[in-house]
Amino acid sequence: MPFMAKKFILTKEGLMQIKTEYDQLTNVKRPQITQRIQIAREFGDLAENSEYDAAKEEQSLLETRIALLEDVLSRAQIIEQAKKTDFVVIGSTVVVEMNDEVHKFTIVGSMEADPALKKISNESPVGKALLGLQAGETIEVSVGPVRSKIKVLEIQ
Amino acid sequence: MSDLPIVVFPIKNVGLSKSESKIVEKLVEAAKSIAPIYQKQENQKFPGANFYPHDATAEEILVAAKSNPEILSPYTIVERNKTGKLVSVPYHIKFKKDLEKTSSLLREAAKITENKEFARRLYLQADALTDGSYEISDMYWITMKPYKIDIVIGPLDKLDDRLLFKKTSFEAWVGIIDEERTKKAKIIQQTIYDVRRKIFTLTEKADFLDKTQLRVDKTLIFSGLFARGMFTSNSLPVDPNLMEKYGIEITFFDTSLDIKFESQHYPIYKVIFESKFQKDYSKDLLREGSFRNVLLHEIGHSLLRYKDSERRLKELFPVIDELSATIYGIKSCGSLVLKGIMSEKELEAIMIMFICRAFTWWIDSKKQKSVEPYAVGHAIALNHFLANGALKEAGGISWPNFNKMFLGIEELSDALEALISMGTYADAQQVIDKYGSFVVYSKFASRLRGLG
Repeated sequence: MPFMAKKFILTKEGLMQIKTEYDQLTNVKRPQITQRIQIAREFGDLAENSEYDAAKEEQSLLETRIALLEDVLSRAQIIEQAKKTDFVVIGSTVVVEMNDEVHKFTIVGSMEADPALKKISNESPVGKALLGLQAGETIEVSVGPVRSKIKVLEIQ
Repeated sequence: MSDLPIVVFPIKNVGLSKSESKIVEKLVEAAKSIAPIYQKQENQKFPGANFYPHDATAEEILVAAKSNPEILSPYTIVERNKTGKLVSVPYHIKFKKDLEKTSSLLREAAKITENKEFARRLYLQADALTDGSYEISDMYWITMKPYKIDIVIGPLDKLDDRLLFKKTSFEAWVGIIDEERTKKAKIIQQTIYDVRRKIFTLTEKADFLDKTQLRVDKTLIFSGLFARGMFTSNSLPVDPNLMEKYGIEITFFDTSLDIKFESQHYPIYKVIFESKFQKDYSKDLLREGSFRNVLLHEIGHSLLRYKDSERRLKELFPVIDELSATIYGIKSCGSLVLKGIMSEKELEAIMIMFICRAFTWWIDSKKQKSVEPYAVGHAIALNHFLANGALKEAGGISWPNFNKMFLGIEELSDALEALISMGTYADAQQVIDKYGSFVVYSKFASRLRGLG
């Protein structure tokens, strides 16, 4: 079976954000850090040059991030904004009951997951388990020591 | 005076301007100046420390308080007059001379700062120390916009009053906010707060979650009780009625936490867990687990405040209160793991560090009685884990079963919440008698030698 590269599921907005970040990193940050390294080199003795070390470390982190974004952009799969459906899809905002608690969150592609905005990855255990379920359905999810029955109360 | 309760942390590069550095110098001096007051209050030999005459029983004090409620005020010291009758003396009168010096240092700092809100904060605090208007000062601090420099100073925690859990001890800290760590901690806090709980909520529950402030600080100094206890976090105020009215401020002391991790939590981990087991957990993962224990403890505290718990559970309150907060916080991680916000390994690191922190409290409680409630509380959990098979020990080596441990945490959390929300003194005593034995710690004593 041929190797099938994993797709990164993104909304149009998510793709735009990633493109904007990529442009900022490659067109602005990359030249800045290259210049910092050049200046630090001029300070002399690289073995004792903390500014040079810091700039090189930052460059390494920057290039890792750029490589990741390039990978995501090359394998991005755009999904339409979720319309009201009878079952959970990526983009659905769901209200669920877990262990006598009520949780509300939106299921998004992994690149757009942001717990501060209540956006949960479709690759998370709960995200995976909920996709395709209808309101009223219950499913059991477990990860290591944590297990819970999850009931879909509402799909928004 | 010997053994002054002051710990100065060697912190550099906190990004302060020259004027801010001058303010901090004054604040550190102010913090140092309250250490002698705490030294007068503390006394390990008596459950009531030096808050009450040593020959007075709890019964006598409670009877005297019926005609003079100020005897039970958090801000008075109780003495006998010439006729032997119990009388109360406000702290700001009893320690007037010391407090005038502290107050003057706070005013000097207020004159330097360009931040008007912070200046007002310092002036109000200076007033409170010399006239007893603590509530006005504390409430201004809690409701003001967070500022990069922070100081808390005055009579705050009741842990030293093991007789009646009424009297506050003098303490202080000065810190500089760590924006990055604060931001990360707030994400976990908010994710847990966002969950709407279905359980029946008693009317006595204090509701203030929308008014909670949280910060992670690089701490510069601890003074008074804080220096003795080397605490890693704090929530203020402690009165649930005030919490509901004004909210709370939760502070994490990144510096003392790191010191505790390096000097106690991690060395304890190295000696009580089997070496093969240790290969799966990096030091950084465990360091984060240690920080998250503290974070979850304070989040748990803010979710489990009931107005009448202290009245019902009396001096047993801190044991149940401190344990239930941590256990509830760890239980809340379950949904974080399921949502992919926290990994299974990170949750395991939190549980491992919970065990190591338990032993830390036990070691610390031998020297500092004020932290004994933490040691008793954690003993309840460890004994429960042993009873349900989550922990096994043979020759001092633990083999945790995380499935059983998390199940034990869920069971304990429900039981403790019932206790703190509506349990009686007798209920709390029963739990402590059944599970609070320190034998669980002493089984590991030989391995822990030298870690005190």
